[in-house]
Amino acid sequence: MQNNGWDEFEIGAMLRSFDGVATDIALKQPEDRNYSSSNSFTASVADWRIEKPLFNKDYCIDCQFCWIYCPDMSIIARDKKMVGVDMDHCKGCGICVEVCPTNPKSLLMFPEQADEETELAGWPEKDKGEK
Amino acid sequence: MSEIKKVKNLKEFSTSADRFEGANLLCPGCAHSIIVREVLNATNDDLVLSASTGCLEVCTAVYPYTSWDASWIHIGFENGSTAVAGAEAMYKALGNKGRLKQPDRNPKFVSFAGDGASYDIGFQWISGCFERGHNMMHVVLDNEVYANTGGQRSSSTPIGSSATTSPAGRVSYGEKKNKKDMMAIMAAHGSPYVAQVSPNKWKNMVKAIQHGMEVEGPVFINAVSACTTEWKFAPEDTMAIQDLATDTLVFPLYEIIDGTELNITYRPKNVIPVEEYLAAQGRFKHLFKDQYKYLIKEWQERVDAKWDYLQKREEARV
Repeated sequence: MQNNGWDEFEIGAMLRSFDGVATDIALKQPEDRNYSSSNSFTASVADWRIEKPLFNKDYCIDCQFCWIYCPDMSIIARDKKMVGVDMDHCKGCGICVEVCPTNPKSLLMFPEQADEETELAGWPEKDKGEK
Repeated sequence: MSEIKKVKNLKEFSTSADRFEGANLLCPGCAHSIIVREVLNATNDDLVLSASTGCLEVCTAVYPYTSWDASWIHIGFENGSTAVAGAEAMYKALGNKGRLKQPDRNPKFVSFAGDGASYDIGFQWISGCFERGHNMMHVVLDNEVYANTGGQRSSSTPIGSSATTSPAGRVSYGEKKNKKDMMAIMAAHGSPYVAQVSPNKWKNMVKAIQHGMEVEGPVFINAVSACTTEWKFAPEDTMAIQDLATDTLVFPLYEIIDGTELNITYRPKNVIPVEEYLAAQGRFKHLFKDQYKYLIKEWQERVDAKWDYLQKREEARV
């Protein structure tokens, strides 16, 4: 797409979310949609993050609290199962970790540069609660 | 298409495909997009949407990107509601003339606005829409401040809150006026459905939205939206603050049907003291100085009185 300057676009701009004919979008998951280059789905806010959430599916109970409370549509849920985190659109707010009800949590925040495999191997044990 | 989408539980709800896209520029942890998602996912029907100027508008339509996967328009600060009302009027007129290309689609008309664009600036326009009886829904994302322009007070800002145009300090405790009771005002317009919702009670919220979309006539939805930037709390605490807002009864969840019949839609099992809600937010920090502590007691009394009033209204059915 041609990037125009601030004074170059017409007053009253129209942007198309999809290329071609788009009907019943509510029944199509993102992978089946024909996004246009002016849809913010094609952009990324990954550089906003200083911490990233990592997902450990061994502890996940698919409650979908993270899905409903994610402000950035970044929790990928398909067929009632939690699949993973969309790292292009996650801003690293940490709500998903806060609302995760499992023990230990199946989502935890790590520094952006942390390596996924090492962190998954060293996932915290169940917290028995100190008395 | 026009049948109500079935949402029995969260697992079933999670099969919805979002029509609001990521990489919008809302702050991390902003409750606005949680509300928008729950509204848009409540239906599979086509949507005609608008947003009045505010955080939601400036963050989701930054040229050359749009974050909306449905027909969406933005015009001015005040007339988001009338833009949708105009589209609805045209839809009705074309339908009467039999000139709709897809008469079986049954689109839903929804306008989004912040509390500034609803309580203050767009008030006359919303009032007009409700008086004319358009078949639309107006959703207020109520974060109690003009967050987009740097936190000026709006008529939704509650007593004691520190805003940039009503700052707290040695001589002032911040905002001095109580919040406008918009729910009662919109119910007095004779609206068939007026509801206060909160995204942390998602089932309650989706039920209210679906009911609002089914009824004929203008529907007003006031959604509590915790603002991490202006309420001053950490972004990951958004849902905790929302829980506090509903469980301390600062934001009681209720609906008013046909302008008269009031139902409380959520009763917290354990009512939390208002003090905890105030203590969790930086904008009320100064209330915990000895000088202003009496305000916390007043807050509690005000919230209790409101809850009493709502319960009496519910019982009396008037």
